[in-house]
Amino acid sequence: MVSTAVKRVEIEAQKQLRGLLREHFLDLDRAAHDTDRKVAWCTSVGPCEILTALGFEVYFPENHGALLGAKKISHRLIPRAVGLGYSAESCSYMTSDIGSTLADASPLKEAFGISGPPKPDLLIYSTNQCREVQDWWNFYGRRNGVPVMGVCPPTHLGEVTAEHVAFVRRMLVKLIEQIEVQFGLKLDRERLRDVVALSSRASALWRQVLDTARAHPSPITFFDGVIHMAPVILMRGSQKALDYYEGLLVELWDRIREGIGAVPSERFRVYWEGMPIWPKVRELSEKFYDLSTVVAASTYCNSWAFEDYDGTDPLAWMARISTEIFINRDEASKQAFLGELFDRFDIDGAIFHNARTCPNNTNSRFGMPQRIREEYNIPVLVVDGDLSDIRFFSAAQTMTNIEAFIEQLEDHAR
Amino acid sequence: MSEPIYVGIDVGSSATKCVLLDGGGELVGHHVVPSGFDYAESADSALAHSLLQASASRADIASCVSTGYGRASISIADRQVTEISCHARGAREWYPQVRNIIDIGGQDTKIIRLTDEGKLADYRMNAKCAAGTGTFLESIALKLGVTLDQLDELAMKSREDTVMNSYCTVFTGTEVIERIKEGQAREDISMGLFRSIATRVSEMMSSRDGPVSATGGVAAHCRALIRALEEVLEAEVFLPPMPQHAGAYGAALIALESKQAGRSSADHVARG
Repeated sequence: MVSTAVKRVEIEAQKQLRGLLREHFLDLDRAAHDTDRKVAWCTSVGPCEILTALGFEVYFPENHGALLGAKKISHRLIPRAVGLGYSAESCSYMTSDIGSTLADASPLKEAFGISGPPKPDLLIYSTNQCREVQDWWNFYGRRNGVPVMGVCPPTHLGEVTAEHVAFVRRMLVKLIEQIEVQFGLKLDRERLRDVVALSSRASALWRQVLDTARAHPSPITFFDGVIHMAPVILMRGSQKALDYYEGLLVELWDRIREGIGAVPSERFRVYWEGMPIWPKVRELSEKFYDLSTVVAASTYCNSWAFEDYDGTDPLAWMARISTEIFINRDEASKQAFLGELFDRFDIDGAIFHNARTCPNNTNSRFGMPQRIREEYNIPVLVVDGDLSDIRFFSAAQTMTNIEAFIEQLEDHAR
Repeated sequence: MSEPIYVGIDVGSSATKCVLLDGGGELVGHHVVPSGFDYAESADSALAHSLLQASASRADIASCVSTGYGRASISIADRQVTEISCHARGAREWYPQVRNIIDIGGQDTKIIRLTDEGKLADYRMNAKCAAGTGTFLESIALKLGVTLDQLDELAMKSREDTVMNSYCTVFTGTEVIERIKEGQAREDISMGLFRSIATRVSEMMSSRDGPVSATGGVAAHCRALIRALEEVLEAEVFLPPMPQHAGAYGAALIALESKQAGRSSADHVARG
């Protein structure tokens, strides 16, 4: 193992991010306790712009699932949900989140001094990422006696056609009508246009943030990305997200100019396919750091890098971006996407995470790693684990696998 | 001045193996001890016995590479290299044409594939599950009240093509009970267990092209495993002279080559 002597230079913007997140969750908590304000829960690439434009405060439960994993408490909470009949092999974001509600245990309490996730007035999903969100949301719908509504875009698409977009757009129109009727609201179309424009700009800035990793050495890693992506998920459609990414970009460009790498003695650049292993993000980050290897690009962080809004039909933009995301595409489209990123980020090898409870966001089960290895002539590794449930992860095996992978890259470099 | 000694120590989940080479790459000492609770102590013991065999002392150690799950516990190691690279290096020294190496250890099973040039092409390790590992066999043997060696002896007497339907250690245990109730011969049940491992191994192989070698403690002790692998893979499986020591041997070769190359970072699989 090669140990880097140069000390890591932390990204300064992270301090600002902590404050931003604090204010975000405090405001959500205030909204949940204010009868004049409404809270809607939404899936992470769901139609949140409609909710914001209608005046809802938006909360993203998948972020809470990730937080429970990162805080290493999911495995204690999941049994509560399993006891209710939710399979231990189904989405561990879902089972840990339901478990946290049943146990009244949320890291948000301790972190921000609030009562936990904000109580919902409305639950909105899109099955563009998985069907599990419907079951997850329905649990809370029953528990809180609030409506659950959603859209179900066509899945596993090759090309996303105008017909697909029109079909999903019609679902969004129907959804708006349902919400308007339920809550006695009327959507302000100009407001929606403004929110979508902000969302698109946040996403464009996020893509620029990810693109800084093209530099050698890269100023940012996947493990930084999973932290700094919070505003584009939680606050897209707001000026706050834009301000944050503009500041972060200035810092990252400075790092590139000054040659400050996220991994100072960068030797190899690898790609991470699949979900993060949230309970082990720190350990994995340190492992790659010790191996002088930067995880320069990932499918996960790119999930919120949408195409630009052209200023015309905001619902068509929402329909398109939510339908054409990686997870919703066929194998050939996914492989082509990965190939583009391998070239773009000068990738030496790819690691696929087989997330045991997330088959939809796992791409190692139908031979793709083998095909990638043949087509792009790069070493490929599959590691077993899970996004949140640590019981599926073996530290010794995974770390040995990763070390051997770097030995393989050394071998190939000779 | 005494002959310099190159040390490879493989601290596995069940056993700690040590191999010593002289400057010409000749194997001059080796030993294996149970890993136990204290990896450093086990490694020290294996090293002491190996040095005794080689009539050498610690002062003669020119370089040491550690490998295996406990590789970080070895303070005298100049470098740690994964057991994947070390098993590949060791097996390739014995069989230069080998393309697939099947290493079945106590805790895990590794399938290592080499390129025509002897570089690491691909490797796979079992998931967080004992299926296909030495622990699988040990657990069932314990349940049947026999040792691993006795299980092997029984299996080698089997004449029936018995196959177990489970990989899972727990479910296979249940299946064995069912087979006993059905009156199946203990020899055939025993051989079925080895076939279960061989079938699991075959699923982990990305390609069956080229010569195959088996390494690790299970291959060292169980002829029935080699028989089962040859049946399932329909190919000859080469068993090296010291299968259990393949990782330690590879580590010692890497130590020797690193020193000879005058580099701090060891070469491994590609060098022969």
